[in-house]
Amino acid sequence: MSTQNVDKKMSDEEVRKLVVARLSVLSPDMYIAVGSDGSFSRDELIQRVEANDEIGKEIADIQLEWLRSWKQRLA
Amino acid sequence: MATFMEAEISLSMFLFTRPDYDPVTKYLSAWSSILIEEARTKAIEIIDLVGVKANRKEFEGRLKKKEPSLVILNGHGNDDCVTGQDEEPLVDVGENSKILAGCVTYAVSCNSATRLGREVGVHPNTAYVGYEKKFSFMHTHGFFKRPEDDPAARPFMEFSNQVVRGLIKGHTAQESIHRAKEVGELHLRKLESSLSDPNVQMAAAFLWRDISHLVVHGEGDKKAI
Repeated sequence: MSTQNVDKKMSDEEVRKLVVARLSVLSPDMYIAVGSDGSFSRDELIQRVEANDEIGKEIADIQLEWLRSWKQRLA
Repeated sequence: MATFMEAEISLSMFLFTRPDYDPVTKYLSAWSSILIEEARTKAIEIIDLVGVKANRKEFEGRLKKKEPSLVILNGHGNDDCVTGQDEEPLVDVGENSKILAGCVTYAVSCNSATRLGREVGVHPNTAYVGYEKKFSFMHTHGFFKRPEDDPAARPFMEFSNQVVRGLIKGHTAQESIHRAKEVGELHLRKLESSLSDPNVQMAAAFLWRDISHLVVHGEGDKKAI
């Protein structure tokens, strides 16, 4: 699936599932500092993405930007 | 001649703010402690506002009195401000941003290059380097007492610290950003070579984001030395 198709065809719910899947395979001792919002464990981030709160949206946004960037980087 | 050169070098002075009250600021503070050591080996005078000294009164007082050529702001922030210890705003849009006029500023902080950076950058002979989005990084539980040794955070540290290393070398703000992005890309390629590791996949996404949103406002050809 191309990243363009990812943009066009994935619903918000599908994006959240994709991001949760990516987060769920992180090591439990790995943390992500999300700017001024603080530092979050894998499980905390999964909860945030599933709740679709501001942190969760930010994480999903970063993951989508990263996937989109592959199209440019591979071009 | 040596005396003249030493006198010339000693004119350079950098100011660091290093709040250290939560995991994020502890990491940024540790990253800057490495830069402080490197700057001191170049005979650069350092004003180090660490911990509780990273407050507005100290910050404004030292800045006005000493007039450092480079200001490194570590701390939480938003579109309008960068904070010090316990989130006390040190520089605020519409309040005291003029205090950074004439300096090169590097803010390792979220979003401040959007409004604050633009406001600072309108002053003549001034450059503001910062991030237009949240500055994010990965780290490992258990490294809070020695963040500089955390392998998960290292690519982010090397990328961010390269901005200051470029300025220490006498490069312009724009050149320093360019080189930092090259260093970031180098680490990104290393991460991409191990994409079977999910931790690395995640780190690459966040590092790429930081690289993409590092910008300079004002005079990109301004030097700190």
